[in-house]
Amino acid sequence: MNTFYATNLLVYAGVDIIACIALNLQFGVSGITNFAFIVFQAAGAYAASVLSMPPDSNPDYSFQLYVGGFQLPFPLPWIGGALAGGLVAIPVGLVVLRKLRSDYQAIALLVTSIIANTVITNARPLLNGAAGLALVPQPLQDQIDPRSDEYYYFYIALTAVCVGLVWFVAARIVNSPYGRTLRAMREHELAATALGKNPVELKMTIFIVGGVIAGLSGAILVDFITAWAPSVWLYPETIILFAAIIVGGRGNNVGAILGALLVPVGLEEVTRQLIQMDIGPPNLIPALEWILIGLFILGFLWFRPEGVRPEPRHVFRGGPDVGEVEHGRLA
Amino acid sequence: MCSVAVRMSVRSSMAVSPEVPMLVAEDVHRQFEGIHAVDGVSLEVPRGKITGLIGPNGAGKSTFLAVLAGTLPASGGRVVFEGEDITRLPAYGRARRGLVRTFQLPSEFARLTVLENLLVAAPKNRGDSLFGALMGRRYWIQDEERLVDEARRLLRRFGMGAKESDYAGLMSGGQKRLIEIMRALMLHPRCLLLDEPMSGVHPRIVEEIQHYLESLRAEGLTIVMVEHELRLVEQLCDSVFVMAQGKLIGSGTMASLRRQREIVDAYLVG
Amino acid sequence: MAIYEAAFGFGLVSMSVIALAAVGFTMQFGITNMINLAYGEVMITSAYVAYYLDRAGISIWLGMIAGGLFGAVFSFALNRIVYAPFQRKGTSNLGMVIVSLAISLMLANALLPIVTYNSVSYSEHTGSIVRLGGLVVTINQMIIIGLAIVLMIGIHALLRYTRLGKAMRATAANPTLARNCGIPTQRVIDMVWLITGGLCGVAGVVAALNSDSFAIASGAGFLITALAAAVLGGAGQPYGAMIGAVIIGLITELSAATWSAEYKEVVAFGILVLVMVLRPQGLLARRGALAAAG
Repeated sequence: MNTFYATNLLVYAGVDIIACIALNLQFGVSGITNFAFIVFQAAGAYAASVLSMPPDSNPDYSFQLYVGGFQLPFPLPWIGGALAGGLVAIPVGLVVLRKLRSDYQAIALLVTSIIANTVITNARPLLNGAAGLALVPQPLQDQIDPRSDEYYYFYIALTAVCVGLVWFVAARIVNSPYGRTLRAMREHELAATALGKNPVELKMTIFIVGGVIAGLSGAILVDFITAWAPSVWLYPETIILFAAIIVGGRGNNVGAILGALLVPVGLEEVTRQLIQMDIGPPNLIPALEWILIGLFILGFLWFRPEGVRPEPRHVFRGGPDVGEVEHGRLA
Repeated sequence: MCSVAVRMSVRSSMAVSPEVPMLVAEDVHRQFEGIHAVDGVSLEVPRGKITGLIGPNGAGKSTFLAVLAGTLPASGGRVVFEGEDITRLPAYGRARRGLVRTFQLPSEFARLTVLENLLVAAPKNRGDSLFGALMGRRYWIQDEERLVDEARRLLRRFGMGAKESDYAGLMSGGQKRLIEIMRALMLHPRCLLLDEPMSGVHPRIVEEIQHYLESLRAEGLTIVMVEHELRLVEQLCDSVFVMAQGKLIGSGTMASLRRQREIVDAYLVG
Repeated sequence: MAIYEAAFGFGLVSMSVIALAAVGFTMQFGITNMINLAYGEVMITSAYVAYYLDRAGISIWLGMIAGGLFGAVFSFALNRIVYAPFQRKGTSNLGMVIVSLAISLMLANALLPIVTYNSVSYSEHTGSIVRLGGLVVTINQMIIIGLAIVLMIGIHALLRYTRLGKAMRATAANPTLARNCGIPTQRVIDMVWLITGGLCGVAGVVAALNSDSFAIASGAGFLITALAAAVLGGAGQPYGAMIGAVIIGLITELSAATWSAEYKEVVAFGILVLVMVLRPQGLLARRGALAAAG
């Protein structure tokens, strides 16, 4: 196992963990079925790219067409990526989250995801269309050689810091009275409204917070792989993350991380290994992976909807002594 | 033991002159998909009393209650709470002002514990905002502890102290009713709107709930309740409004209503 | 002017295709309360059934019947094996959306090793050209329009004049009440999935026939257009879906003629967003199913 391989695995794991924590805040904690999640990751990736790349008039970059090209130094592109994720969340949230029933929200977001991809694919002058962006500069690449082991360690550390930061924010939200309000809204929105909670405000806030975190994950990813195109953010990518949350356990960050390690990291890694072994027709193994992801979702929803690690019960000090109360299948 | 919540509500309601009715509906309409569920209802809810709202199935009682609480918008008319027009105020705004409703169907937060169900409702928790949450535990722990104490007092008063750490979704129908009432009380309401609080509840718990409602009234809380069981209405309610086909067809005490021929015909037969 | 006449001609064909797809989709939702996100993938699978028959030398019109049969049987089985058990288990509407999305993903990927990503088209493609006043349509397009009209009238007759149709409407309005009134709701729902699945299959073949080429990735586009028409007309309402199809068909073809064909689905999506913002209950709102409660 060489350093590049290990780095690759760790950075992907970091990005997936960040994404799963964000999606868990939205879906697991607050009950917002954000089927457009990957769009916010893509927004962060594109924003980080055009913020760090030179203008497309630059001879080295003139084979692509894109807006912007600001050549900003690290970490501004990452901050910009996070902001972009949050900014995109505002109009989408305002249209989708205000009036619609929750299952329609999910569908509206799914359609949004498909259409956003279609638009970016076809509108070439915006972000280079289907070919996507390439040669995205990497953080501090003029200080450290991006192909050196030092750079790999540096990138892993950078990713780890972001994972830590996101974990910190998410843990504070989940374990606070605010997190409790979000869970209450997830359980029974109308009852929460009748108790003085404004569900639209709550959902919008978490939609934007999740968008910011998703944007950051996109920035980390794009600066590592140095390229980004519509084919990497098709809507099924969101479904992998949903599978991760459902498998890992909805509503808690540990479950989200567990899910990230089991599904997008673990399963994809196994698939990659299998593809290298060259079995069957070319599309067979990836197709089987997707079928397996579908089976994971169905199987867990049927047999263990609370996931591998269920949301822990929040018990307060000084309360009556309670033993191990069975978790209860509260569908 | 008297809950802090209710005492406070009594004190604050003193601010408004006692002649002003707690809640006034003026020609309230609610139509949806061509059905006139509430068709011009006007009434006044007196302070510190339990007011019953009765009528046959489909009379529009629950819809009317929802319009009062703001969980359904009115299509016409005005709702005035403590002398203030709240017709345009959304449901969460009304709840924050002390007009709190419960639901006919169980509406507990199933995967929250019983204590958490109460805590969710508590206003004035510094940790109940994104900013407060991000500030961390030390920023809000004092509020939280104060509210946990308050919620535990309520739980003990309603005989559910031992259940605080159980999931609300695993409680019995009667216990869920109690949770809903306690949850509403955590908001320090001035007026409670109860939608069939006794439906689907074991007779023994019915008696208990009845007793709690009486003690809340004794503390000065105004209660409006939709109820089917006339025996209960007779025992609990100081005055009663009768609805049929979206309209108000009578009002008064149960005893006086029983003497009115057309109301008996419309509804009270048997 | 000619461009608009052509667009109108294409619009007639488009609305026929969309109507076939949208009516089945909206009926599944209206009667069984199931937003079946796998609908687009079932359409594309049926299109491939006809494609392989076409390659074996069987007429596309027979292929269309086969596609319809496949759609009917597959949708019936899908409901019996997956959707109905999950619904009986008490899965929320939102949970069912996730379930159907997982199915959609699995179906597309089960197909992928066989059909690959490549675009294909039927051998029998255009047929000769017919002029009707200013309109120019091919024979095949004429047949598609005729087929859509016949099937729409059939659906109307079914819902309006048959016992089954009445039972369907009763089940849609209130399944518990319908069951208590002695309507065999289970059998009614089975029939709904057979009929709507058949429509879905036929719609898939027709949609494939009407485009220059199709591929596994076309399923999402099929779904979005059907969804847009269904939502525009008022989710769950067959007549609403027909009206929605007419509007979406015309507008998308007009925009394709005057702007760019790549954005057909984007235009359909734009209409969808406008409806969601301005009139979430759709044009023919009876039950107002789309609006949030409270």
